[in-house]
Amino acid sequence: MNTPFYIAAAVAVISTFMVITRRNAVHALLYLIVSLLSVALIFFLLGAPFVAALEIIIYAGAIMVLFVFVIMMLNLGPQSTEMERRWLTPEIWVGPTILTALLAAELLYVLVRVQVRPSDINVITPKQVGIALLGPYVLGVELASLLLLAGLVGAFHLGRREKSDGGGRA
Amino acid sequence: MTLNDLAPLIPLMVIAVSSVIIMLGIAFYRSRAFSGLLTLAGIAVAFITLFGVQGTRQVTSLLILDDYALFYIGLILAASFVVALLSSDYLEGRRENIEEFYILLLLSTLGSSVLAASTHFVSFFIGLEILSVSLYALIAYTRNELNIEAGVKYLVLAAASSAFLLFGIALLYGETGTMEFSRMSSGISAQGINKGMLLTGFALVLTGVGFKLAVAPFHMWTPDVYEGAPAPVTAFVATVSKGGVFALLLRYFIQVDMHAYPSLFGAVAFIAVASMFAGNLLALLQKNIKRILAYSSIAHLGYLLVAFLAGGVMRVTAVTFYLVAYFITTLGAFGVVTMLSGKERDADAVEDYQGLFRHRPWLALIFSAMLFSLAGIPLTAGFIGKFYIVAAGAGSALWLLVIMLVINSAIGLYYYLRIIVVLYAQPGHSEVSAVSSLPLTGSLVLVLLTVLLLWLGVYPEPLIEMIHRMTMRF
Repeated sequence: MNTPFYIAAAVAVISTFMVITRRNAVHALLYLIVSLLSVALIFFLLGAPFVAALEIIIYAGAIMVLFVFVIMMLNLGPQSTEMERRWLTPEIWVGPTILTALLAAELLYVLVRVQVRPSDINVITPKQVGIALLGPYVLGVELASLLLLAGLVGAFHLGRREKSDGGGRA
Repeated sequence: MTLNDLAPLIPLMVIAVSSVIIMLGIAFYRSRAFSGLLTLAGIAVAFITLFGVQGTRQVTSLLILDDYALFYIGLILAASFVVALLSSDYLEGRRENIEEFYILLLLSTLGSSVLAASTHFVSFFIGLEILSVSLYALIAYTRNELNIEAGVKYLVLAAASSAFLLFGIALLYGETGTMEFSRMSSGISAQGINKGMLLTGFALVLTGVGFKLAVAPFHMWTPDVYEGAPAPVTAFVATVSKGGVFALLLRYFIQVDMHAYPSLFGAVAFIAVASMFAGNLLALLQKNIKRILAYSSIAHLGYLLVAFLAGGVMRVTAVTFYLVAYFITTLGAFGVVTMLSGKERDADAVEDYQGLFRHRPWLALIFSAMLFSLAGIPLTAGFIGKFYIVAAGAGSALWLLVIMLVINSAIGLYYYLRIIVVLYAQPGHSEVSAVSSLPLTGSLVLVLLTVLLLWLGVYPEPLIEMIHRMTMRF
């Protein structure tokens, strides 16, 4: 039975389409999170629960946290409540909510009826992932750390404020 | 992976460690001289340790250090060394810190070297990303409007091309069940393979790689990024980044025989012809030296693909020799642009070069030599390189491609000669040519590059011998 997969894939495609077509960045972000959740569910269905968890923790989780940070930093003050009320109109949250509810229902269904998962799918455990990463792919892990270093140094340099602007750290 | 496997990786580790030391150094005390010297020393030590790697060493399934990889890593390191020397003069006296530049330069060199040694899609992709991510920041390094625009363009397009590449890799993996290049060829010939899926995968990978190589029709970003990036970074993008990717492409398609797929062969042939014509015809219309060189590099990658399509051992020799010549020439040409660039803007308008011969005869002569080599005029390395490509193409009876190449060389001659005519014309009124004195290190580098250029043009046997020995054991 591939129906769960197709439902999750359809949700992914719809939500990603909505991400691209939204004018407002925050609305797009809501759909992006739904898109990431559906991809996580697809990973789960394909027998990779660890990757599914990572997908949620790193992508959906980190993006949510950043989102919250931005809101916290930008909207301090009394007008923020008013702004929130204006932001939270039904047409904004109904779409993502329906899609997420669909995913949640599907996840419950899959969890309750384990036999839905085709038997020929090989479930990869976190231990196997770890062994692969530190065994044959250890060089890849090391290189990925250098990739992060490059990103970090680049972001530091480009984001650094000029001394003359004042307040910035040289 | 054992401790024994680490020995062949020493050159790569030296580069990585140098970048980390510079980064830690910044935390305590910023010193231009220290970072610069450490960068040069790191590259030099890595280059020397290349000679310590004996035989062909496969390190896990990700990397292989054979003569081919070592040769290309050597070439990449040499080019980075030149870029590091040129950029120290260029960035001197600017408001930006220079230390991060060296870190990013070292890291992108590492990424490119990893590409040259990759035998697996994982190392291929990570290497490519290290290279690209460092380049985003390097292109926007001096943070003026032009820089930032070029950096953002490169960021968006490179990220999109990476997505294509990943999708292609996923399809190939899904069909063959392996990401190792050597096992992929047997996976492809296995029964029950879906050819359509496989060709789609190849096409997507080719799109991703084509973007990095800036071949038509994926070349749109090239002139803007070349124009916007600081001149030494442009030299880096044109040489190191393309060299590593091309080395990988060649290795991949030697292990996976492309001639078994006529449609794939046709697609690459189309890309080659399109690149030659797009590069040369569009270069005719330009008034900006960096844009002319950008279009010329598109055309040169087209020439390289002609040799790439030829079969047999000859193609490795032809491609490698041409790449060496292309590296020397491009570094030299952008080196001249770097030397003449002021603090306010790069010397990239053709008018800036009007009558250069009167002010700076040596620089004008060096620039002419580089342009002659790009045009493929005898006595320069570019001529021998082009000769090898024509020979390789003719050897495999790719007559149509060879004829296209000859036609395009003729078109190319026109705009190279146009610049040379400007160099020897009456001086105009340009502030750039009135730059006070030329930095010493940069001048020495340019002289060295010119000597190499002429040496390879007159007496190419030692290099050809070296390439032959490399391909023998391939």
